[in-house]
Amino acid sequence: MTYLQTVWQVFRKDVQVEWRGRQGVPVMLVFALLMAFLFNFALQLSPDLQAGLAAGLLWVSLAFASTLGLNRSVSLERENLALDGLLLAPVDRSAIFFGKAWSNLIFTLLVALMLLPVFSLFYGQNMLKPGLLLVILLGLGAYTSLGTLLAALSIQARTRDVLLPILLYPLALPVLIAAVEASRGVLSAQPLGELRSWIFLLLACDILFTAAGLLFFETILEE
Amino acid sequence: MKQTHADSLSARIEVSGLVKKYQYQPVLDQLSLTVEDGDLCVLVGANGAGKTTLLRILAGLVRADTGQILLGGVPLRADPGIRKQIGYIGHASLFYNDLNALENLTHYARLYHINPLESTVVESIRSVGLEPHQHKPLRTYSRGMGQRLAIARALLHDPAILLFDEPYTGLDQEGAAFLDDRLRRLQGPSRAILLAAHRPQRLLQIATHIAWLREGKIVQHLPVNRLSEAPELRQYLQETA
Repeated sequence: MTYLQTVWQVFRKDVQVEWRGRQGVPVMLVFALLMAFLFNFALQLSPDLQAGLAAGLLWVSLAFASTLGLNRSVSLERENLALDGLLLAPVDRSAIFFGKAWSNLIFTLLVALMLLPVFSLFYGQNMLKPGLLLVILLGLGAYTSLGTLLAALSIQARTRDVLLPILLYPLALPVLIAAVEASRGVLSAQPLGELRSWIFLLLACDILFTAAGLLFFETILEE
Repeated sequence: MKQTHADSLSARIEVSGLVKKYQYQPVLDQLSLTVEDGDLCVLVGANGAGKTTLLRILAGLVRADTGQILLGGVPLRADPGIRKQIGYIGHASLFYNDLNALENLTHYARLYHINPLESTVVESIRSVGLEPHQHKPLRTYSRGMGQRLAIARALLHDPAILLFDEPYTGLDQEGAAFLDDRLRRLQGPSRAILLAAHRPQRLLQIATHIAWLREGKIVQHLPVNRLSEAPELRQYLQETA
């Protein structure tokens, strides 16, 4: 089986399980919508402040929702020790990482796409901009790559439910800062050229965390 | 087509100097064991003796601290393709509860690149008597049904090396008789079977060898027909009966 076929099979299995169980994306979406709703009504921001804060609030919602998805991804593999089944297969184990990271990314992107119109409505600005979609793609790519790796690390731990966010949020800070700054720039109509440094930082995080998954995923999973 | 180690693997398990510690406590301590081609070796030992750890190491799920593992003369970690020759049954079914039997086995068949896929999966489910339940999600299965499907999964790719950890757990009488029959048919040339059992009495009719794991080491390893030469092991087996 080629490397890409393995990645595709792991991805396909995750989508199939999600389609049958519907326990990941709907929960993430409801959680993210609740956060958007609570922020909007709890903060009671003036229109000027809303524009400035929308990017930050969007990323807080996405980060928290994505962590829920990552936890679901872990629990799926822990149930009946299904992860062992993947590890037993005669495939390069880093392909399992890519398959899982991509499914986590696609699920979170789906939530983001459904969240953007709601944020547009609550914060009075069009958030369905190609520049913002690019930032979301890069930001969530890095966040879910790191999250998938750390989820694998936490899978063996007794305190796995709290371990993932405790490890993930500090390590993902550069991603979240760059994503918020780039998103804020896009929303305030700054040209992408001026946001180059933030976008390059996101791209660097994408490469770094993907490479880390490629190198360390197998070692992390073995007891 | 590229020739891999797995394609030419013979059925022989060779373990030497295996050490595994958990939090500085040795579970396996310089363990050595050889299961020859054609053998069905029952691994016995008390709870916590390290049977599961040994099988998980041999399956490539746990990394040993030190020691050498050769499957058919090839180091276990030389090539991921070697895992195609390993069939493993552990304490859990390794299935996804939201998928049905057909979907679960198809997933594994794809990972093992089984061809023809559909007919192999259907035949595999039929062989364990779960055809009427193949479209039901795994969460509706009883423990015994899950174990039957786990047997089908472990044998799906026709592996040369079988590692079974307490495979009778959860099986009713009919299921246990079915497994006895499967083991009899599986045992033979081009296959090595290592089977861990806490209560191994029923297996002594089928097994060729018995290995006793105690304090992290194999303290006895002999053919079943020479069991009379090992009074201590015989007494242990009587006590666990």
